[in-house]
Amino acid sequence: MKQESTRIAVTETLMELAGKDPKIVLVCSDSLLVIKAKPYVDKYPERFIDVGIAEQNAVCCAAGLASCGLIPFVATYAGFITMRACEQVRTFVAYPGLNVKMIGANGGIAAGEREGVTHQFFEDLGILRTIPGITIVVPADAGQVREAVKAVAYNSGPAYIRIGSGRDPVVFEKPLRFELGKVRILREQGTDVALFANGFLLPRVLAAAEELSREGIQATVVEVHTLKPLDVETITEVLGKTGAAVTAEDHNIIGGLGSALAEVIAEHRPVPLVRVGLRDIYPRSGRPEKLLDYYNMGVSDIVAAARKAMQKKAER
Amino acid sequence: MSDRIKELTETARLLRQDVVRMIHLAGDGHPGPSLSVADIVAALYFEVMHIDPKNPQWEDRDRLVLSKGHSCPAVYAALARRGYFSAEQLPGLRSLESMLQGHPDMNKTPGIDTTSGSLGNGISIGLGMALAGRIKGRDYTTYVITGDGELEEGVVWEAMMAAQHYHLGRLITFIDNNEMQSGGPVEKISGLYPLLPKLQAFGWHCQEIDGHNFAEILDSTKQAQAEEERPSIILAHTVKGQGVPFMIGDNSWHKRVPTESELQEALAVLGGDR
Repeated sequence: MKQESTRIAVTETLMELAGKDPKIVLVCSDSLLVIKAKPYVDKYPERFIDVGIAEQNAVCCAAGLASCGLIPFVATYAGFITMRACEQVRTFVAYPGLNVKMIGANGGIAAGEREGVTHQFFEDLGILRTIPGITIVVPADAGQVREAVKAVAYNSGPAYIRIGSGRDPVVFEKPLRFELGKVRILREQGTDVALFANGFLLPRVLAAAEELSREGIQATVVEVHTLKPLDVETITEVLGKTGAAVTAEDHNIIGGLGSALAEVIAEHRPVPLVRVGLRDIYPRSGRPEKLLDYYNMGVSDIVAAARKAMQKKAER
Repeated sequence: MSDRIKELTETARLLRQDVVRMIHLAGDGHPGPSLSVADIVAALYFEVMHIDPKNPQWEDRDRLVLSKGHSCPAVYAALARRGYFSAEQLPGLRSLESMLQGHPDMNKTPGIDTTSGSLGNGISIGLGMALAGRIKGRDYTTYVITGDGELEEGVVWEAMMAAQHYHLGRLITFIDNNEMQSGGPVEKISGLYPLLPKLQAFGWHCQEIDGHNFAEILDSTKQAQAEEERPSIILAHTVKGQGVPFMIGDNSWHKRVPTESELQEALAVLGGDR
């Protein structure tokens, strides 16, 4: 499968933005190489700040920059922002609503891949979702990362974008328009079941939809790239049409897309739901595709989840 | 004593009265640490900082980060007396309708530059503000007031390393060194002391003063302002509860509400209700 680095996509987009807007600043915590930011630093040295291996300091420093009217992007590994510096994110960025943009690399077990659990982050979205006031975006590929970076840069307030390992599959061959806060219906082929997904798991979900189609099951595939604010209206509409739902995400099964959908389903449109994701356990090192298969996020798992959701629908 | 210092001494006396009155009415708050910092707060708001109470968001204003956010009654009193908002707001401290939160909120209270209250983060936020001034080519100075106990937080030292690395001469930090923290004497709780050599080792311009002596506060501030290359520390020795004798040496006043009679006693020693 063709790959393009979501990390380089961040840096290239920041360079584009920084060229037009003197308010753009990049803040790293010795994470320059994580997002391959050398070209940015060469071009805009005065707007690059490296605070060293100190994520709490990076986040507070960004809060200070934003409070003086700048637009800082803090970029490092997802867990070091959302866990190591969680309280700084909550109290000094989200609570005052400051214009700090956070970029979290190695989002998911596949993106953390061979590094092992310390560098595989599958709790970031759940943690941030409980903090009021943060826009949360989980783009599917590098092209969508570019769109997401531009979208959050000029959407006032705190935002988080989840990116990958740098060896990230290309999902969309052609650039697709990105609308913050709206789901994207990728495939509306029928009303048997809706597959909700985001991030790097999308190719697997699309493959699962193909396989289901061959069995005569028509699935609607919905990409929920903005996890917050959630497009409750469209999601509820889709649920009304299909009457059965599956979520698939490279995240702990608690707290992320599966939980978000469960909340919508319980409050707005009760239908059977089956969640695919990391089943509340710690993963291991491994090659990304193998890892996803091993931890029940394979195409066959998504297909099985769809059948199960439909069976529950039939039993109602 | 110069006339200016007499005026500041008088201002600080009024701030201390406001503090004990506000906490009594709120039924909650931190009198001891608000009193230890009152002279530094008075000096900054009434002498040192370039600010415009009619334009709290003025881009070129000096900034203040109150890292020890629990001392906010002293700052709220200073903001009111400086004209950011009416003194009628002060009795509302910590009540549901009030603009005066239990800990500072930059979006609710005019004149508050930073939301704060979770300890240890102030120098780091000041670092960002000082860097922003440099990036934007502005000439303001960023002041931080931190307690000594909160220096136990790791992020303090992260920020100190970075500020030194970036040669932030426009970042000036006062340490309200009252030697006490919530649970008791700093010395009994952590290995923070001796403090000065640690601060010096981080490459900051360091001065040690009596934090209740206005001549020393003002003089050390001038010296810190003159330092171009290094960020500055003013290690100010203070007394928790300063101005109210029965609060001094009794750390229960870290967070405790004066009763009506305690309030009257405090106001009496603070020079009556003038």
